[in-house]
Amino acid sequence: MSKRVIQKKLPMPRKAAKTAMKKAKPKATKPRVGVFVCQCGQNIASVINVDELAEYAKGLPNVAFVEQMGYPCSAQGQEEIVATIRKNKLDRVVVAGCSPRLYEPTFQSCVSKADLNPWLFEMANIREFASYCHRNHPKEATEKAKDTVRMAVAKASVLEPLKPVELPVTKKVMVIGGGIAGINAALDLADMGFKVYMVEKTETIGGYMALLDKTFPTLDCSICIEGPKMVDVGRHPNIEIISLADVLKVDGYVGNFKVKVRKNPRYVIAASCTGCGECREACPIEYPNYADMYLGVRKAISPPFGQAVPLTHTINKDYCIECYKCVDACGARQAINFDQKPEEVDLDVGAIVVAIGYDMYDPRDLEWTGYGKFANVFAALEFERLILAAGPTGGKVIRASDGEKPHSVAFIQCVGSRDISRYEYCSSFCCMYTLKHAVMLREKYRDAIEVYVFYNDMRSNFKGYEEFFNRAQNSGVKFIRTKLENRRVTEDSKTNNLTVCGETEDGRSVKADVEMVVLANAAIPQATSPKLSKILGVELNKDGFFVECQPKIRPADTGVPGIFLAGACQGLKDIPYSVAHGSAAAAQAAAILSKDAWLVEPLIAKVNEDLCSGCGICETACPYHAVVVEKKDNRELAKVTEGLCRGCGVCSSACPMDAIAMPNYSDRQIAAQVKAVMARSEAA
Amino acid sequence: MPLKTIKKDTADTLTLEWVLHVQNYRLSLDKNRCAGCQICGLACPKEAIKAQKQLTATGERAQKARIDVDLAKCNFCGICDVLCPYGAIRVTVDGKHILSVVEKESFPQLVRDVEVNAAKFPGNPRQGEEACPLGLITVSDGKVDVSLDHCPCCRVCEFKLPKGAIKVRKFLDGKMSIHERECPEGCKICLDVCPVTDALHLSADGKKVQANEVFCVYCGACRLVCPVEEALELKRTRVSHTPVRSGAWNKALERLTSSLEMTKELKTKGSLRAAEAVRSRLGLKED
Repeated sequence: MSKRVIQKKLPMPRKAAKTAMKKAKPKATKPRVGVFVCQCGQNIASVINVDELAEYAKGLPNVAFVEQMGYPCSAQGQEEIVATIRKNKLDRVVVAGCSPRLYEPTFQSCVSKADLNPWLFEMANIREFASYCHRNHPKEATEKAKDTVRMAVAKASVLEPLKPVELPVTKKVMVIGGGIAGINAALDLADMGFKVYMVEKTETIGGYMALLDKTFPTLDCSICIEGPKMVDVGRHPNIEIISLADVLKVDGYVGNFKVKVRKNPRYVIAASCTGCGECREACPIEYPNYADMYLGVRKAISPPFGQAVPLTHTINKDYCIECYKCVDACGARQAINFDQKPEEVDLDVGAIVVAIGYDMYDPRDLEWTGYGKFANVFAALEFERLILAAGPTGGKVIRASDGEKPHSVAFIQCVGSRDISRYEYCSSFCCMYTLKHAVMLREKYRDAIEVYVFYNDMRSNFKGYEEFFNRAQNSGVKFIRTKLENRRVTEDSKTNNLTVCGETEDGRSVKADVEMVVLANAAIPQATSPKLSKILGVELNKDGFFVECQPKIRPADTGVPGIFLAGACQGLKDIPYSVAHGSAAAAQAAAILSKDAWLVEPLIAKVNEDLCSGCGICETACPYHAVVVEKKDNRELAKVTEGLCRGCGVCSSACPMDAIAMPNYSDRQIAAQVKAVMARSEAA
Repeated sequence: MPLKTIKKDTADTLTLEWVLHVQNYRLSLDKNRCAGCQICGLACPKEAIKAQKQLTATGERAQKARIDVDLAKCNFCGICDVLCPYGAIRVTVDGKHILSVVEKESFPQLVRDVEVNAAKFPGNPRQGEEACPLGLITVSDGKVDVSLDHCPCCRVCEFKLPKGAIKVRKFLDGKMSIHERECPEGCKICLDVCPVTDALHLSADGKKVQANEVFCVYCGACRLVCPVEEALELKRTRVSHTPVRSGAWNKALERLTSSLEMTKELKTKGSLRAAEAVRSRLGLKED
């Protein structure tokens, strides 16, 4: 687009518009900047000559006050800053200390206690940028600190007071995923009084925990613990379960998300189905049940397991022959509708909790395991269904080849995980569930069964876990430590017995002849993660797990305000930690939902409508879809959605008309910094 | 974890399996008995069965269509097993040939109405046995055994044996005609694949194939291999089956016959039900 054309569209000449802007501002009086130089104990002071720095700062333009402090961030330090601001009538504050990522909010709230607008505060990072990285060059580091302070003072002198942006808040929340983490997040939020939509991909909530037999280290029955919680979710007046559903689209921003969800048809009307199971009895068709890890079957109309919530049955049209025996059996309840279509629903929510959990790695990929080739090699979850009383064998651990109870079982750890060619990370809970399986076998069958565990490192940290490892050792489980390389399972084709071979750390080969092998196959990110990541705008890490905002102190937040993570989708966790993480995400979400308006930093793009030509370059440049060109008063104008803008400034630098300003990152303010840093080179 | 499945295709059998831990679902197709007809493919509710024409070198005997079952689509319901006129498909669960669709009255069974009067069989047992084109009759010590599971009820034996020795009622009825004008001269592919001798034969001049409807079982093996679209016309009008009330059956019947025939059956059922209702209300006994 040529400049001439753009100018034609302008309602007033460019120069006039700029002058008008300038005139609108009240003429500023000379600012009074206060500089507080932090020693950070010895973190800064041991490298940088803080006396020299403070002395230097005194000579900078507009600086009215300079003070050295041990820890300005401490309560005492903050009080001192407040007092100093009042006493010296400072109207700008610079703290030369650590990274603004850590303490900027602290100091902003500190200066506001002295009735100073928090955006008249500027931080000069002389720790990460000087003392830490130039530890061996104290002189140069001090010079760099001076530059940094000079820039900060120059910018502070031209900072403008800003007001936080207020966003309305919809007091509803969506929890994606109904595993144990999602269940806890949902129940916590619902108990706090917020409306919760629980969107679940499968027919029932419960996740993997609902498929387990016992839980470690207490050997409590898994579904007996989770079942009541699932029922609570189903019955809670504030929770609406949307099962067999996919999240299609998420628009909007913190406090104001607009979500599109597709409810997939189950061909049974949820409101009419009582879950009585008469249709199930009448149905002639059986198909392999995923909930039984395909070791058992379920009817073409059925729930995946007895404790499913909701208990609404589902017809699997991939297998149903449409004989309508179920329709006859259902009778007057008329709950079956073969013509059900997918249905799209729109949800307005203020926050989103992502709790989509994990998947299991298919060990057929690793040939050495013999999985898929040898009948008596099982994956861990398959074994879980074998040992479960409600499972396809009624809790009998039997071999697939002959239906006989094995007299010896070998468990192999780290199958796919801690393997650089597959999944580099540790799957975190396999050691413990293997100990659980081993203890259960030994305590149930005593000496009638020999149990081997081929492991590399036994990771039994956290409460009560090491004690459980001891219990396993005392119960007579034989632990064999091998390297992760050169392990192999072979089969005797006549007996279908197996031999597990491995190599110890000192190179000796070890083996065990057994009648059954159970693999601790890796837990991996949900297959739907990449798609959901795109929909939500939340990043995945290199392994495919969702990235938290800060790994140490903000493990439940994401980079997108208003979207939180719970459970294994952020990184693999066992049950107690998933539960805790679910509650953490709920608390974080509640912090937003409990407010009538959510305040966000005003560092977001502002459009000068007099200058804007409506060319739309900003719209294409914005990575957050925050700027759109809309018609206003018969003109095309750029409009910023405040909740979406993240203040990155891309639009501002892309705008050919200079019509978009970033508050406190205006050309004038950045130029002041640049000028300040050039001052030294000029002097030199 | 993935479902363990097996598909094996040998010269004699095609086997499909779901290998579950405690159950084993197996479908096996006996290729020697299979006539390569249309029935299983039409009847399959999952459209898992496809018949493929086989290429034949000139001068060689034409081959019947090859039946293939898609493991990803098959649900081991056994409907193909129930309907196969030649009993070539067997679906078993844990080795037991008990079909849930039949047990739960979701699907009827074919009625193979064969009446044997051993006393009237010829003295020579071989003569009795040879009367069946599929070799399903065995005669020993004056006892006659017909392997009913595999019998397509073609009636050839009834005509070959002395009157009254055997009486057969077809379970598939219909209309089969070969249009002489469209039938390509010298082609006898249909004749080659037809498992029932005498259902098709060459015309007197040996140039065209003609049908003998007395013996045709309306399986459609010929229709599948006929190279000319309009030459061979086959319509099924009735399937003799045990009583049933099932949507799956209605759909199978519609595909095997036509919408019209399916509606006819439904109407008959409806009027029978109405009559039954009137009878029970008036306290009458079935006449």
